[in-house]
Formats: sequence, structure tokens, C-alpha cells
Amino acid sequence: MAVAGSGLRGPPGGEGGGGSSLTMERIRSLTDLPELEAAYSRLCGEEKVVQEELEALLEQQNTIESKMVTLHRLGPNLQLIEGDARQLAGMITFTCNLAENVSSKVRQLDLAKNRLYQAIQRADDILDLKFCMDGVQTALKKEDYEQAAAHIHRYLSLDKSVIELSRQGKEGSIIDANLKLLQEAEQRLKTIVTEKFNAATKEGDLPQVERFFKIFPLLGLHEEGLSKFSEYLCKQVANKAEENLLLVMETDMSDRRAAVIFADTLTLLFEGIARIVETHQPIVETYYGPGKLYTLIKHLQVECDQQVEKVVDKFIQQRDYHRQFQHVQNSMVRSSAADKIEPRELDPILTEVTLMNARSELYLRFIKRRIISDFEVGDSMASEEIKQAHRKSLDKLLNNCLLSRTMQELIGYYITMEEYFMWETVNKAVAMDTCEKGQLISSMVDDVFYIVKKCIGRALSSSSIDCLCAMINHSTTLLESDFREVLCTKLKLGFPATTFQDIQRGVTSAVNIMHSSLQQGKLDTKGIESTDEAKQSFLVTLNNVEVCSENIMTLKKTLENDCAKLLSQGFGGEQAEAKIESCLADMAAVSNKFRDLLQEGLSELNSTAVKPQVKPWINLFLSVSHNIEEEEFNDYEANDPWVQQFIVNLEQQMAEFKAGLSPVIYDSLSSLLTSLIAIELEKVVLKSTFSRLGGLQFDKELRSLIAYLTTVTTWTIRDKFARLSQMATILNLERVTEILDYWGPNSGPLTWRLTPAEARQVLALRIDFRSEDIKRLRL
Amino acid sequence: MWEWRGKSKPALLEISNQRESWYTPEACIQFKDHFHAQVRSACQQRNTGTVGLKISKVVVVGDLYVGKTSLINRFCKDAFDRDYKATIGVDFEIERFEIAGVPYNLQIWDTAGQEKFKCIASAYYRGAEVIITVFDLADIQTLDHTKQWLEDALRENEPGSSFIFLVGTKKDLVSDAACERTELDAIRFANEMQAEYWSVSAKTGENVKEFFSRVAALAFEQCMLKELEKSIGRMAQIGAGNLIKLEGNALETQENNSQANLSCC
Repeated sequence: MAVAGSGLRGPPGGEGGGGSSLTMERIRSLTDLPELEAAYSRLCGEEKVVQEELEALLEQQNTIESKMVTLHRLGPNLQLIEGDARQLAGMITFTCNLAENVSSKVRQLDLAKNRLYQAIQRADDILDLKFCMDGVQTALKKEDYEQAAAHIHRYLSLDKSVIELSRQGKEGSIIDANLKLLQEAEQRLKTIVTEKFNAATKEGDLPQVERFFKIFPLLGLHEEGLSKFSEYLCKQVANKAEENLLLVMETDMSDRRAAVIFADTLTLLFEGIARIVETHQPIVETYYGPGKLYTLIKHLQVECDQQVEKVVDKFIQQRDYHRQFQHVQNSMVRSSAADKIEPRELDPILTEVTLMNARSELYLRFIKRRIISDFEVGDSMASEEIKQAHRKSLDKLLNNCLLSRTMQELIGYYITMEEYFMWETVNKAVAMDTCEKGQLISSMVDDVFYIVKKCIGRALSSSSIDCLCAMINHSTTLLESDFREVLCTKLKLGFPATTFQDIQRGVTSAVNIMHSSLQQGKLDTKGIESTDEAKQSFLVTLNNVEVCSENIMTLKKTLENDCAKLLSQGFGGEQAEAKIESCLADMAAVSNKFRDLLQEGLSELNSTAVKPQVKPWINLFLSVSHNIEEEEFNDYEANDPWVQQFIVNLEQQMAEFKAGLSPVIYDSLSSLLTSLIAIELEKVVLKSTFSRLGGLQFDKELRSLIAYLTTVTTWTIRDKFARLSQMATILNLERVTEILDYWGPNSGPLTWRLTPAEARQVLALRIDFRSEDIKRLRL
Repeated sequence: MWEWRGKSKPALLEISNQRESWYTPEACIQFKDHFHAQVRSACQQRNTGTVGLKISKVVVVGDLYVGKTSLINRFCKDAFDRDYKATIGVDFEIERFEIAGVPYNLQIWDTAGQEKFKCIASAYYRGAEVIITVFDLADIQTLDHTKQWLEDALRENEPGSSFIFLVGTKKDLVSDAACERTELDAIRFANEMQAEYWSVSAKTGENVKEFFSRVAALAFEQCMLKELEKSIGRMAQIGAGNLIKLEGNALETQENNSQANLSCC
């Protein structure tokens, strides 16, 4: 009952989860027997569970007891450890206290030391102040301005709070007075230095100028010093430039450099400024610190701009630049030759403008490099923002200076004039085109490329990438549209088809006719002469087209090298290389257009001149019977019926082309010819019939034809005649079944180019082969 | 097929399906849902010609200070510089794409708007697949000038060879009402020019990416079509004139095969 009771009460805090689910009250309130029984059985079940749990716990008793024993054994040891730990803690606390004591003393010492230092510093400062006051007075009296400035500099670099503190001291009034004196001295020194500097500037006394220039930064007048100094330098630049300009006006037109005198003047100006920068940079750097060169050059650039303006104005006036430009513009619109400006007249002025621009670019690059390196030294510790700001101000200086803008304007005009020069000169070259006898190409190709090269070369010499690319683009347009159009028109005239009889007579007889008709009178010759000329012109044009295509590639390569040189010298912006590359790629594309044109011309030649003549010659094959016996075979042996004459005809025809065409084009043409022969011959063979000996005869004919064609072409022609050779092989068979020795698995190295159907078709050409045998073949 | 893997920009040909703010149906030169079927199949078969990279040239023209450089910088560098810096001569950017699995470049030539650079800039108009004429939405005069700019640019190109776009910039500077009024004029201009009209803002970046994506998609399609036409032309030529040559190639492969067979034995 006790167990049940305890079980019924349940564990404290539990909700009856571990103990009984029935409370005492609930049991008491039970009255019904079945309910009682159910409660009882539930309690019994619970008792059993509890029993089991108890047993499990009892089983653990042993282990727990043994653990207890070990714990008891540990007891004394723990006490020992506790004692030790307490002792250790005591020691640590002691040490800690000790250390704190020591360090606090050290800290106090340090503080004392610092104060001492400050005191000494202040004492020093006060002493310095006094020393400065005395020193300035004496130095000023002795006119030793460097010394005075050094004192002032010392005073200025003193901590203002120190001075303030000293004034609060006992001797405040004295120091106040002294300070006043010092400030007065500072003002006086400033005025004196400025006056002296101005005087020195006026006298052009460089040592004195430099002397006072060095004093300015000591007085904290960096900007003023730089601006005054650059004023002096500017005056020098101006004087020199004026002299130079006067010299220009006096220069004789016959002078060697007269044509580029303005470029030379600009060069002198730039060189002068560069020299000034070079000589004075060390002083500025030493006395003003790095990063100040920008200010100096900014001042100088103003003067430079003014001088450049003068020179360029004179240039425009003297060389009539604007009027020439107007004239060119008008000439481009108008087509009447009378009003057109002679391109040759533009030549010198174009050269001079590019030279002027090249000098400016060189100068600007020099300045840029100098300022950048100066900024780099000064900005080594600066934040990214300041660096960015410096870069921006430099860009602004370079891009917005009058020099840049003036040159941009000049180059703008130059491009138009150079374009005009190129177009006009090229037009002239085309108009004056002649072809010397024996020459494969006519004069205009060399002339045109000489001109284009010259114009691009001149644009290149301006060192302006944009200008160069613009001229490359203009040249590309010129070559692609207009010049190609010229050649295209010539090719469109076509190769005059000669009549069959003419060819029969051959070239020599044609010449004979020409001679005889020459004696008769001019009227008759005109027909033949003009045909001959037209032929010649067509062939020359073909050669021209090919050479053009090659020249363009050569030009592109040369330009690539030249541009690489220019870029390696640091000209051009970040995208310069990509720009040039793109423009040159456009130019190279034109080369392909010429190649296409060549192909068009060749196929035109092939279809109008070669095909109509070769075809009848091949058709003659049909009139020669190949269904022959021994006797006829022998007769053929003695008097060749077809192939010899065919070869002679071919030779005569090709000789004309060989003489008139470049080797490369001639090769292409003979390749077209061999293809044509192969196709046409195949057609006629399939229309003929053959006996065994006829097959042999055809084989012989084919061999001599191939042998001849091999000698005139450099390409291998075996490929083109492979089908025909295989047809000859079939026509030469003893029996129908013999083909099986060569066909399929027995073919060995031979690759059949005839389909089985075609092979049968060829076999059927042999009159002595029975069609049943052919049908029975398994191919 | 529609991913631009490099940039994950959508190719904007399915313009008629989209009702976005940048879309102005009156100012569209062409409506279609997809690339030309030939181009699609060529892209899928990777049969895009043997000649290396496809490049199209884009020329940007317009008055000074309308924001040509800003427009390009927003697209190419995703940057906007408040300070005005006049372009000297011509600037140049290359933007790389991959459209339908084919690498493709837009070569963008940014010309100077200043009068003194006209001689130099006009030398760069030639061979432009795309001409973008730019004006300032806040300055109606610049719109008037676009005709002259376009005329100059077209003179250097074969007629009908270039896509033309009319772009109004600085959309952020004008009110919506003013923008709409100007757009009406602009669309009229665009129709006369046979151009497609877009309003953008380089400062906020509004429509810039979409605009260039559209440019790239149209230029790419044209470039591919041209290429395909060329290769078909080439094939036809070979087929008609050089029958033997073709067979020669066949022979070569056959020979290669037989060699392979031989080595097997």
C-alpha cells in the first residue's frame, strides 16, 4: 500500500508522467466495480514498472560505491592542492602590486620627462624668438636678407600657442613688444624682398632674381614667389620670342629653312621654355618643395600661349593659310579645272603644319612628363582624391591651353587640305596613266601608292594619332571607292572577243595583218589596233588590281611598324593603339576587295576570251574517229589528227596571256584553263565511241595533253585530270571483267573518282564490250 | 539562345512584346520577335563563318555638349562625370558582347561636337554600320541640327548600309511633360530620318543599357546576314565554275581516309 501510495502521489512537480496517473482522491471517489478493477490493474502495471526501475537502480549500486571509494581516496590530495593554489594566488597578487608600483613610477617619470621636454622646447622657442628678434634686426641692418628670412621662417614655424603662452608669463609685456617688432620686421622684409626682386627683375639680374626667389618660401609666400618668378621668366620668353619672330620676318625666301620657318620658330620657343623648366626645376624643387612645378608651368604656359598665338597668326597671315583652306574647300565642290588650286602648291604648307604640330606634341609631352613626375614625388603620401585632382588639373592645362586649341584648328584645316591634295594628285596620276611596253603594270599604280604613302606619312609626322587615323580613313575611302572604281570601269570594258579565224591565224599573223594594214593606211588599222589596245589594257588592269591588293597589305604593314614606333615614344592616348588598329584593319579589308575584283576580272577573261576559243578546239575531238583499226592507228601515229594542233593552239593563245599577265595571275588563269579543258574534254569523250585501239589512241592523246599542261602550270594538274585518266584506263581494258582488277578492294593506292554508274557508262563507250557483260559487273 | 553571357544583357529584338517605358512604337524602324531565321540557325550550328571576330562600327555624332561622351561612358564604364570635358578629335571604345553564343564587338567612335574638329571627325564616318545622332532634350536647337549631322555622316557611307538612331539625352533635366512634347518633335524627325528614336539619361542611366543592347542586337543581325550572304555567294561561285576543285577537296578527304585505313592495316 505504501508503494502504491507513494506511486499514487506522484513525483513532486511532475504531472503524474513518471508516477501514477491516478490520484488518491480519484481512487476514493471510485464506486463502480469495473472502474475499480480498471484502476487496480493500472496501478498493478505501474507498480511493475516502478519495480523494474528500482531493480535497475540497485544494479548500479556497486559501481557507485566503488566510485565513492575512489573519491574518498582523492580527498586528502585535494586539500593539498587547495593549499598550493592559495599560496600561488598570494604570490601573484604580491607581484602584481609590486609591478603596479613600479610602473606607476615609470609613468610618472615619463610624464615628468615629457613635461621637461616641453619646457625645454618652450624655453628654446622663447630663446629662439628672442634670438630671431635680435637676429632679424641685425640681419636687416646688414642687408643679409637670407639670414633675416631664415629668422622669420623660424618665427613662422614656431608653435603659435607657445608664443601665446609666453605672453601670459611674467615677462609678457616684453615679449609682446618683441613680437610686435618681429611682425614689423616680417612686413618690412616682405616689402624689401618684393621691391628688391622687382628691381632685379627689371634689371634682368638673374643671380639677384634667384636670390630673392629663394627667400619667398621662407616668408611663407610660395605662390607669390612662384608667380613673380614666372613673371620674370615669361618676360624672358617673350623677349626671345619677339626677337625670333623679327628674325622670321627678315628671313629671305631663298633660305634653306624658309619653307618651315614658322615651325622652326615654334621649335625655338618650345626649346626655350623647356630649357627654362630644365634649369629652374631644381631650385623650385629645393626651395619650394615638390609638386610646385605645375604652378610654375601654368604661369609659363600663359606666356607660351601668347607667343604661339603670335607665331601662328603670322603663319596664317604669311602663308595665307585660311585663304588656301577656303580655296581648297571651293575646289572640292567645284569641278571646273580652272578655279582649282594646284595641289603641288599646297605641298610645303602641309609639311610645315605637320611639323608645327609635331613640335607642339613633343613640347606638351615634355611638360606632361615633367609635371607628372613632380606630382608623383609630392603626392607619394597624398590621398587618391588629391592625386585625381592633380591629374585632372594637368589634363585641363594640357587640353585647354591655347597652344593645343590652336594646333587642333590648324590640323583640322590640314586634314581637309591633305585630303584634297591626295585626291587631286591621285586623279592626276590616273589621268596621266601610261603603260610602257614590256611593263606588266601601268604607271598609275606606283604613282597612286606613292601619293597615298606620302600623305599618310605626312599625317604620321604630325605625331597626332587622330590626324593619322583620319588620313588612313581618307586613303581607305579613296582606294576603296574611287581608285577601285577606275580599275573596275576598265575591266568592265571587257576583253574583246577575237573571232575564231583570228585565233586560227594566231598571234603572229595578227601582227602581220597589222603591219600590212599599216602600209595601206591608218583607217583600217584602227580596228585591230584598238582591239589590241583594249586587250592590252584589260590585262594591264588585271595586273594593276593584283599589285594594288598587294601594295595595300605592304602599306598596312609599313604603317603598323611606323605606328608602333610612334606609340613606343609615348604619343597618343590610351586608346591610340586600338584606334590605329581599327583603321588599318579597314584598310586591309580593301585589299580583299581588290582580290575579289581580280577574281571577277579573271572569270570574265576566262568566259569571254578563253572558253569560246577552247571549246571549238576540243569539239574537234568528235570529228576524229576513235573507232579505229590497226591501219588507222598507225596512220594517226604518223599524222596526228587532233592533240598536236590543240596543243599548238593552246600554246599560241596562252603565250599572249603569259606575256601580258603577272606570273600569279597567269597561274590562276592557267588553272582556270585546265579546269575548263578537263570539263569540256570529258563531255566530248562521253559523246564518242572507242575501239580497243581507239582507247589506246585516247590514252596517248591524254598523256601528251597532260604532259604539255604540266609544263605550263606550276600547280599540279593531275587532280583535275584524274577522272579523265581513269576514263582512259577503262577505255584501255582488254576485257570488261578486267576492271575488277582495279576496282574496289583491288584498287590499291588508286582512288576512283568515277562512280560505278559512270564507270559503266565509260565501259559502254567501247563498241567491242557487250552491254550484258557490263550489266553483269558487280561494282 | 537569348542570353548575353558576358554581360547578361537582354538582346532587344523582341521589342514588340515589351511595353516598357523606353519603348516608343512610333519611333521603331522594325518590329520583330526574333533574329532572322538564317542568323538563328547559323548561330545554333556555330556556322558563323571562318572570319574571326564579328565587329560593327558605331559612330556617334551631334552638337557639342549634348552628352555623347557621357552616354558612351555610362554604357562602357558605368560612370558619369559631372564635369564637362570637350572631346578632342575622336574617342574610341570597344564593348564586347556575346550574342546567341557568338562573340561580338561594338566599336564605338565618339566624335567631337566642336566645329573645329569637324574636318577630323568626318574622316571617321566611313564604314559605319550604326550612326547614332544625339541631341539634348533640354535644348531643342540641337535636335534641329541632327539632320545636318546625319547628312554629313551618310555622305561617307553607302546608302542604306547603316542603321540610324536618334537619341535624346539628359532626360533627367526636363519635366515629363516637356519631355513628351520634345519627343513628339523628335519622333517626327526620326521618321524623316528613317531612324529609331530613344530618350535616355546618362546621369541616371535610364534606358542607356537598353538602348545599346538594341543597337548591338540590330547591328549583330545585319553583320551576320552580310556574312552569310557572302559565304553563300562564295559557295555558289565554287559550285558553278570550279567543279573539279570541289572534287579535289573530296579527293583529299578520301585520301585522308584511305591513309587512315592504311595505318590501321
